[in-house]
Amino acid sequence: MSQNTDNVIDHFNLFRSPEYVEMFENKKKNFENPETVEKVEEIREWTKTWEYREKNFARDSLTVNPAKACQPLGAVFAAVGFESTLPFVHGSQGCVAYYRSHFSRHFKEPSSCVSSSMTEDAAVFGGLNNMIDGLANAYNMYKPKMIAVSTTCMAEVIGDDLNAFIKSSKEKGSVPVEFDVPFAHTPAFVGSHITGYDNTLKGIIEHFWDGKAGTVPAEVRAPNGSINFIGGFDGYTVGNMREIKRIFGLMGIDYTILADNSDVWDTPADGEFRMYDGGTTLEQARLALNAKATISMQEYCTEKTMKFIETKEHDVANFNHPVGVAATDKFLMEVARLTGKTVPAELEKERGRLVDAIADSSAHIHGKKFAIYGDPDMCMGLAGFLMELGAEPVHVLATNGSKDWAVKMQALFDSSPFGKNCHAYAGKDLWHMRSLLFTEPVDFLIGNTYGKYLERDTGTPLIRIGFPIFDRHHHHRYPVWGYQGAMNVLVWILDKIFDEMDKNTIVPAKTDYSYDIIR
Amino acid sequence: MSSLSGKIQEVFNEPGCGKNQAKGAKERKKGCTKQLQPGAAAGGCAFDGAKIALQPITDVAHLVHGPIACEGNSWDNRGAKSSGPLIYRTGFTTDINETDVVFGGEKRLFKSIKEILDKYDPPAVFVYQTCVTALIGDDIEAVCKAATQKFGKPIIPVNAPGFVGNKNLGNKLAGEALLDHVIGTQEPDYTTPYDINIIGEYNLAGELWQIKPLLDELGIRILACISGDARYHEVARSHRAKAAMMVCSKAMINISRKMEERYNIPFFEGSFYGISDMSDSLRQIAQLLVQQGAPDELLARTEALIQREEARVWKKLQPYKERLNGKRVLLITGGVKSWSVVAALQEIGIEIVGTSVKKSTKEDKDRIKELMGNDAHMFDDMTPREMYKMLKDAKAEIMLSGGRSQFIALKAKMPWLDINQERHHAYASYDGMVALVEEIDKALFNPIWEQVRLAAPWEKQSDTRDETLSYPHYSSLVATS
Repeated sequence: MSQNTDNVIDHFNLFRSPEYVEMFENKKKNFENPETVEKVEEIREWTKTWEYREKNFARDSLTVNPAKACQPLGAVFAAVGFESTLPFVHGSQGCVAYYRSHFSRHFKEPSSCVSSSMTEDAAVFGGLNNMIDGLANAYNMYKPKMIAVSTTCMAEVIGDDLNAFIKSSKEKGSVPVEFDVPFAHTPAFVGSHITGYDNTLKGIIEHFWDGKAGTVPAEVRAPNGSINFIGGFDGYTVGNMREIKRIFGLMGIDYTILADNSDVWDTPADGEFRMYDGGTTLEQARLALNAKATISMQEYCTEKTMKFIETKEHDVANFNHPVGVAATDKFLMEVARLTGKTVPAELEKERGRLVDAIADSSAHIHGKKFAIYGDPDMCMGLAGFLMELGAEPVHVLATNGSKDWAVKMQALFDSSPFGKNCHAYAGKDLWHMRSLLFTEPVDFLIGNTYGKYLERDTGTPLIRIGFPIFDRHHHHRYPVWGYQGAMNVLVWILDKIFDEMDKNTIVPAKTDYSYDIIR
Repeated sequence: MSSLSGKIQEVFNEPGCGKNQAKGAKERKKGCTKQLQPGAAAGGCAFDGAKIALQPITDVAHLVHGPIACEGNSWDNRGAKSSGPLIYRTGFTTDINETDVVFGGEKRLFKSIKEILDKYDPPAVFVYQTCVTALIGDDIEAVCKAATQKFGKPIIPVNAPGFVGNKNLGNKLAGEALLDHVIGTQEPDYTTPYDINIIGEYNLAGELWQIKPLLDELGIRILACISGDARYHEVARSHRAKAAMMVCSKAMINISRKMEERYNIPFFEGSFYGISDMSDSLRQIAQLLVQQGAPDELLARTEALIQREEARVWKKLQPYKERLNGKRVLLITGGVKSWSVVAALQEIGIEIVGTSVKKSTKEDKDRIKELMGNDAHMFDDMTPREMYKMLKDAKAEIMLSGGRSQFIALKAKMPWLDINQERHHAYASYDGMVALVEEIDKALFNPIWEQVRLAAPWEKQSDTRDETLSYPHYSSLVATS
C-alpha cells in the first residue's frame, strides 16, 4: 500500500515512492510509445539554439505563455476602486470566476464581482434579459452604491448595446432610475487588461462628468486647486496608493485618487466581512472634474482616459510607472509644479537614504544583466531604475506593448551607456523570452509568477516583480513608488543576488569555501 | 601573567624590526605600538589580532576562552578561504558565566577541549585567552599543557588577551604561539630543494590560489603558508623549508626572523599585489632557493614565466589604462598594502593622493617614499573627519579601504572599494591586478555617483552642488570593452 491512514503522504512525496515511480515508468514504456531519452534530450538542446530562436520569432499566429490578461480583468480592477461599487460583467460567468480568483490569489483577499451569466439562448437572442435580471439581483442582494458594467467577448460578439440595455433595465425597474450604472465595452479580443482598465475608468469618469448617459445635465467645471491621481493597473496598488497618500499628505496637497482600491484589497480580519471598503467616493468622482490637473502614473494604462480628461482643460502629466531616484525626482517635481507646493525636507531625507543605500550596494548590481517582462509602463520604470543602478536591462518584453512603446523603450536605452546592448520586444510572449534567455543569457529575470517556468527551464533566477504574483505572499503591500518604494525594489533585487551567491556556494565540502556570512 | 609580559617585551624587542632598533632602551620598553587614546575610535584588540592571524589554519578548532562577547561577535567574520577542512569556521567558545568569573573558568575550559576532541577530533585545538579570563587568573597555558598530556593531542595556548594592546601586537603574539608550540614539532615526509614558506598570507578571497598555480608551474612547493589555507601539520613541519617569503611585514616578522635564526631559513619581504611586485617576488623566491642550493636553471624558468605573464596581463589591462589614467585615489589601509597597492595602481596611471601609514613600518614608509617621491602623501593617523574632508574636497575620486571606513567615503559622496579582509575579489597575483582595476573601474563609473553628487532637483543648483567637482557625466563615458 502506498498510503496508510496513520501517515498520509502528501503530493510532494507520494509519487516519489518506489511503487509509483515504477508504475509511471511502466506506463510510459508500455503505453506511451515514448521517444528515446537521447532523442528528448537532443530536442531539448535544440530548443536552446539560435536556429530554434529564429523559428520561434518567425511565429506569426500562435501565442505561447502570454504575459498579459484580458480587458475585463482591468475593468474589474478599476471598478472596485470606487466606493461600494460592484463590478458587473455582462457576459458569461466563467470569465468572471477567473477575474475573482486571479485577484484573490494575488491580493489574498476576496474579490467581489458578478456577471450576467449569459448562456446559449442569450447568445442567440441577445443578453437583454440577463442584463435586466442581473442588475436587479445584484442591486437587491449586494446593496452597492454603484454598479460598473463591462463586457466579456461573448456579449461583444453578439453586439449587445450596453447603453440601451442599461436604459431598458432601468425602465423595467431593475435599479432606480437615478442609480449610477456607468459602463464600458471591454472585449478581450482587443488590447489587454490595461486597455480594459482605461476604458472602464474613462466610462466611470465620463458618466459622472458628462451627464450620466444623457439622463442629467452635464457637470459644469468650477476649477479649484486640487489634483487628481490615477495609478493605473498595478499589482502593488495596496502599498503604492498608501505611499502616494503619505507623500501628498507631507506636501500638503489637496488631491483625489481616482480608482483607489487599496482598502478593498487589504481588509482587516476583525470579524466583519467587507464586500466593499474604501475607494473613491461617488461625490469625489463627480467633483474631480474641478481639479486643476490630473496625473497618471501609467501612460499606457490611461491613454483614452487622459485624452478625455485633457478635453476638460486639466493640466495633465503622464508617467511610466516611475521607480528609482531620477524617476521619483521627476514625478515629485511635476507634482510640485502642478500644485505649487514644495517638496518637504522629509522626502528629501528619504531620497538621500535611497541614494545612500544604492551606493552601499552598488558593487553587487553593477554590470549585472537583466531580462524584464510585464506591462509596458512597469517595464519602462524598472528598466530605468536598473540603468540607474548600473545594471543592463538586456531584454525588455511586453506582450501588451505597442510599437510606440518599443520606440520609447529604445529612447530610454539610448539615454544611458548601460542601455547600449538592450532591446525592447513588443507583442512577444514568454516562449520568445525563453529563446532570448537561452541564446543571450542574463544574470536575472524580473517578472510575475509565471516566470518561474522560465527560471526552471533556463536556470535564470527570477525576481518576482509584477502582476500576478501567486506563489509569494504579501509583496503587494509594499510600495514600489516613491523613494521608499524604490528602496523595496532595490532590496528585492539584492536579496536575490545574495540568495544566488549563497546557493552557488552551499554544497558542504565542495563549494562552501565561499559560503560567507558577510556579503 | 609574568610569562605574558615577558613575551610582550620580547616582541617589542624584535631585532628584525628596524623601527625598534632605532629606539633607545627605555623607549623600546614602552612598546612599539602607540598607546590607544581613550575616547577615540580605535581598531581591534590583541585577541582579535591573534585570532585573525591563526584562524586561517583550517583543520584545527579555534576555541575562545571567555565570555560570549569575544567569539559571539566575531566568529567566521573573515574571508580567509579553505580548500578543504571547514572546522576553522565553526565558532567554539567556553561562553563563561558569572559563576565561572567567581570560581574560575579553567575546568570549563578543560571540559570544552575534551568535548571538541570527542565530537570533532581535529589535529589540534587552539585556545585563545581573553580579557576576562586573564583578569580572573585562568592559566590557559597550564590547562593546555594538562589537556595535551591527557588527550595526546596538541592543545595550543594563544595568550593574547585584548587588554595587552592592539591588533598588531596580537598578530605577533599569535606568531609566538606558533613558534613556541607548533613549528618544528613534526617532520615532513620528504623535502625538496624547492620548498618554501609563505608567511603572513591569509588566503583572503582565495588569493593564495592565484599565486599557487604559478609556483606549481615552476616546481616550487609551498611547504607551509602561515596561515592561509594551512593545515596544522604543514605549519608544524614548516621548519624544513629552504626559504621564506614574508608577505605582511608587520604582522609576522617575528616568525620570519626567528625561523631564520633557529632553522636557518632566509626570508625576504615581498608582495603579491601589482605586476612588478608580483614579478619581483617570484624572482626573489627563485634567487633565494638557488642560493640555498637549488639548481640555477630555476632562474631562467622563472624569468620566462614572468615575461609570459606580464605580457598577458598588460594586454588585459590596456583598455583600462585609458579610462583610469589620472584618476585620484586615497588609500586607507595598513602595513604592506600601503605600498604594494600604490605600486600596483601607479602602473596603470592612477594617481595616489594619499596613503595611510598607521600600521606601516619604517620599511613600509621608505618604500612609499621611493614610490611616491615625497612623504607629503603619507598620513600617519588620519581621522575619519580628515578622510571625509579629503574626499569631500575632491582631492580624491575614490577611496580604497577596509569595510570600517567605507561609510566615510559614501557619506562624502565618493566611491569606495573594499581592499580588506571582508572583500570577495582576489586582487593578488597578475590576474588579481586585473580584477582590482576592473573593480575600481566599476566603482568609479557606477551611475549612482553622479546621482549622489547632484542635489535633489527641487533644490537650487548652488545650494549643494559641489562646483569643484569635474566628474564626467556617465552618459559621456562609453564602455571601451
